[in-house]
Amino acid sequence: MAAASGVILVLLSLLALAAPLAEAQLGVSGDAADLFNRLAPPGGAHLLGTDEVGRDVFVRLLYGGQVSLAVGLSTAVLTGLIGAVIGLIAGYFGGAIDTVLMRITDAIISLPLLPLLIVLAAIDLTKLGLSAEAAASSEAGMIRIVAIIALVGWTTVARLVRAETLSLRRRDFVRAARAQGSTPLRIIAVHILPNVSGPLVVATTLSVGNVILFESVLSFLGLGIQPPTPTWGAMLTNAQEVIWDTPALALWPGLMIFVTVIAFNFLGDGLQDALDPQARE
Amino acid sequence: MSLSRFAALCVSLFVATAPAVSHAKDTLVIGISQFPSTLHPSFDSMLSKEYVNGMARQKLTIIDHDWEIACLLCMELPNLEKGTARFETTPDGADGLAVDYTLRDDAVWGDGTPITTKDVLFTWEVGRTPEVGVSNQELFRRILSIDAHDDKRFTVHLDRRSCSYEGLADFELIPEHIERAAFEVPADYRKRTAYDRDPTNPALWNGPYRVTGVQPGVSITLEVNPRWTGQKPHFNRIIVRAIENTAALTANLLSGDIDMIAGELGLTIDQALSFERRHGDDYQIVYRSGLIYEHIDLNLENPLLQDVRVRRALLHAIDREAMNKQLFDGRQPTAHGGVNPLDSVYYDGVPKYAFDPDRARALLEEAGWTPGPDGVRRNAEGATLRLEIGTTAGNKTRELVQQVLQSQWKDVGVAVGIKNEPARVFFGETVSKRQYDSMAMFAWLSSPQNIPRSTLHSEEIPMEENGWSGQNYTSYRNPRMDEIIDDLELVCEEDANQALWNEMQMIYATDLPALPLYYRAQAHIMPTWLTGLRPTGHQFPSTIWVQEWNVAE
Amino acid sequence: MLRILADRLLQSLLVLFALSFLIYAMIGLMPGDPIDVMVAADPDITPADAARMKAAFGLDRPILERYAAWLVAALQGDLGFSRLYSQPVVDVVLPRLGATAVLLGVSLTLSLLIAIPIGVLAAARPHSGLDYGVNLFCFAGVSAPPFWLALLAIILFSVTLGWLPASGQAPADAGILTQIRHAILPVGVLTLSSVGGYIRFMRGAMLETMRRDYIRTARAKGADMRRVLFNHALRNALLPLITIVALSFGTLFSGALITETMFSWLGMGKTIYDAILGNDFNLALVGLLLASAMTLAGNILADICYAGLDPRVDYGKGDRA
Repeated sequence: MAAASGVILVLLSLLALAAPLAEAQLGVSGDAADLFNRLAPPGGAHLLGTDEVGRDVFVRLLYGGQVSLAVGLSTAVLTGLIGAVIGLIAGYFGGAIDTVLMRITDAIISLPLLPLLIVLAAIDLTKLGLSAEAAASSEAGMIRIVAIIALVGWTTVARLVRAETLSLRRRDFVRAARAQGSTPLRIIAVHILPNVSGPLVVATTLSVGNVILFESVLSFLGLGIQPPTPTWGAMLTNAQEVIWDTPALALWPGLMIFVTVIAFNFLGDGLQDALDPQARE
Repeated sequence: MSLSRFAALCVSLFVATAPAVSHAKDTLVIGISQFPSTLHPSFDSMLSKEYVNGMARQKLTIIDHDWEIACLLCMELPNLEKGTARFETTPDGADGLAVDYTLRDDAVWGDGTPITTKDVLFTWEVGRTPEVGVSNQELFRRILSIDAHDDKRFTVHLDRRSCSYEGLADFELIPEHIERAAFEVPADYRKRTAYDRDPTNPALWNGPYRVTGVQPGVSITLEVNPRWTGQKPHFNRIIVRAIENTAALTANLLSGDIDMIAGELGLTIDQALSFERRHGDDYQIVYRSGLIYEHIDLNLENPLLQDVRVRRALLHAIDREAMNKQLFDGRQPTAHGGVNPLDSVYYDGVPKYAFDPDRARALLEEAGWTPGPDGVRRNAEGATLRLEIGTTAGNKTRELVQQVLQSQWKDVGVAVGIKNEPARVFFGETVSKRQYDSMAMFAWLSSPQNIPRSTLHSEEIPMEENGWSGQNYTSYRNPRMDEIIDDLELVCEEDANQALWNEMQMIYATDLPALPLYYRAQAHIMPTWLTGLRPTGHQFPSTIWVQEWNVAE
Repeated sequence: MLRILADRLLQSLLVLFALSFLIYAMIGLMPGDPIDVMVAADPDITPADAARMKAAFGLDRPILERYAAWLVAALQGDLGFSRLYSQPVVDVVLPRLGATAVLLGVSLTLSLLIAIPIGVLAAARPHSGLDYGVNLFCFAGVSAPPFWLALLAIILFSVTLGWLPASGQAPADAGILTQIRHAILPVGVLTLSSVGGYIRFMRGAMLETMRRDYIRTARAKGADMRRVLFNHALRNALLPLITIVALSFGTLFSGALITETMFSWLGMGKTIYDAILGNDFNLALVGLLLASAMTLAGNILADICYAGLDPRVDYGKGDRA
């Protein structure tokens, strides 16, 4: 199951990367509006028809995949990294370090996301030294979203990892390692990390899906990546407007999100089994 | 609970839909997309409040279906020829104006108290008290004094002369005998007004209906006002429900939870068209083109936009006719300027910019912009023709139009980026402080024959020095335009006045401080059995004539 | 234990205090203050009017001073006046808090009632048909965007079948049956989108615990499988679940925003969102602080449960062993 999911994800990524190729091959455009060809049914060069502005849905789906996958993956990995480091340190060393780190975590968990998003969305990137061209690019929009979600998203992982670490610290094998004079870094790396990796991986894989979903919610609220850059979330949100006319427009991005999230979850499952030292016996 | 009883409960939960559907037809449930922040007529001007208050409150004057000013609470409009309006000299020697009004004899508040000049004087007192902070302070500042001759007759002395003196719509009468207590500490009036603290008090209302229930954020219930002396309304009860999400609003209509969707505050045209395609036979759908002017303000301080040839090229490059036809089914006519063709002062002789990409390219070449290797135009100094368009994030129609525009401009070698922001940021900061890079897409809602002083006069450019007041967001400066705007208020003779309007519209279409897009239309979605609802197309809602609504035989 | 709890409470109060300033400053930082928006909407407001109104609202004073004034008033119980609803903030917040509590409480209880047994069952027979079925259902739930799920539910149950009302709360005077009918769709959608995550965590945690030595020992000694599952494994497996649930208090609180928007359910999520976008300073502040306080309370609750359920976790002591 995990292997199949891995294959599906690789295929999806390859397909997404092949978007320009598909665009050229089919002779259709993912960003040129065609007012006289709106909401066309599938057929001819338009494999999946056209959207509300007359753009090719198939090509946009592929480009959207690039953005959604990139945002989902990079955010999840970043979130996992920050969360794991902070959770391990807090859980292992305990005491004052733990208290301080956990209160910061508390504060960030309880920090309201919404005004933060609005404030960040209003920041003028050109004032941060970016050229007008770069600031208006879709990459800048992506990085903004990734940064915002990662900035507040690591806390769940941190709490989870800390809790596991706290519990592991008292276990015999860790005590033994400490008695033998291993350095904290070594103990964390050799004894604790492998044991927390299970929940960590589950949390991270689940969060890939969550991030993709969160991006769609941001689009729904009008705070997502700017149009016309396609993302699955944005496509789904836009499709809501024409749900009665062309439900298929909502079906495809919904299906892509669905398949991707499922695949990441099964993959996480498989990884959990593979990474868990106790399960390997 | 036995299993069978539990099953029975479950069944009843699912099936007991009958009471929700109101086909009794003495109750009308209207869906709107916004809940009013207050019911007090002078705070927060917002459409949803106007919509509700239209049924429960009578204004002194309104604009009727023919876009003419008319009396509601007054007997007759003041008139210079009849002597009920007079030019006069103000106490400090300036040009002033006096207008006479008489309140209707049968005008009473919902508790039976007659509406008198006491209420008029009280309203003025509240309005001019700065600590109260009514939204239309300028009106009260213009009023120098009010003479009450008796219970019903009064004269308003204004501090300036103007050709449009007849109406006093924003002078919203409030009941002195109720509101006096709340006004004791003027700074706290807003927090203590009965319109928000005790909205079901009958004495606050004087329309065909009165408010009998308010569930904040959810719904407002109105019932027939027994003291109403005009035509008796058909529906005993009208419930106005606020449902913000338009998809949910539509679903509520289809499920029968609401009977109709208000055109003033409901679906956008594209949503309505889509709805009509599927359910057109089951509902009565009326479109009315209106005074909402969708346009793109151009930041004239951006060097790229200072050349009028570039501005004209931008307009020639976009196919507004096709947009109207393909996106709006021809319901939202292309605009050629800020004055609506339905307005009596409209002038048709202005330059119109048809879709002509070749002409656009030629204009850009002429202005020194030649295509670069990536298709984006560059000038001799090596600058690229790169602009940015912003609008209110989440407005799907605007985002749709925006993407079409972006694509069409790309075809003529103009790269346009999109930067949308939530409305509070967009209007609160970006547009109002002229911080947008080059283009801002939004709409103006104006009244008929509205003199565009605040948007086109050079003194109305928002700046740090004037506290960012004024709405000339494009930084447009044209001395002749300033003169015309000043004259429009003073040259009242019909032909001369029209000549000024014509010239104003010519200059606007020639200079193009903004790119006109289209006039928005309202889509009223009503049950087939509803009669008598006539959309107005201007800022006064159809609910003002609610007593004419009826059920078809 | 009590001392530790008191410590935690004190620390959380400090965090809350710091947050109150942070949130205050953040709202202040957001572009467009209420008067700016009023000026933009109304050409007749003169600069003098604007300045006077700013003074009346205290917007012309430095942020620290404004914060201090707000804090003093708030500590005396005056939370201010909501501009958006023309009512005192308390009057706006209380009923909405109730509405959110109903929505979240019911949905959370339902989620856990479903998640715990199903998670245990799935973990008891990992990689069985049942397990895959459960997984698939979970993923289906978590991978559907909430606004989408809500829309589909409305289309199916309100429009096509006509069984349930599409809009949020029933009128306050409606009978209990009507109230329940109005709550079914929002609660259902919220439950559907959250239960998958809980099941997944439950299952993962169960699998994890069942591999532990003492469970293996118990099973090797021939202990009854059901007893092992529910007495030993479940007790330990509840740990991560409780952490997740407690931690999600705050997110849940403001996260029901989408469900609340789609069903016009007047809860806190929607209120906070509207207050922020509508520039209702006082209301946004109180709403956000409440959300923060809920999260902090959830954190403490998580720690207490942790300590209660897992005797091996000892708090307050540094690494002295």
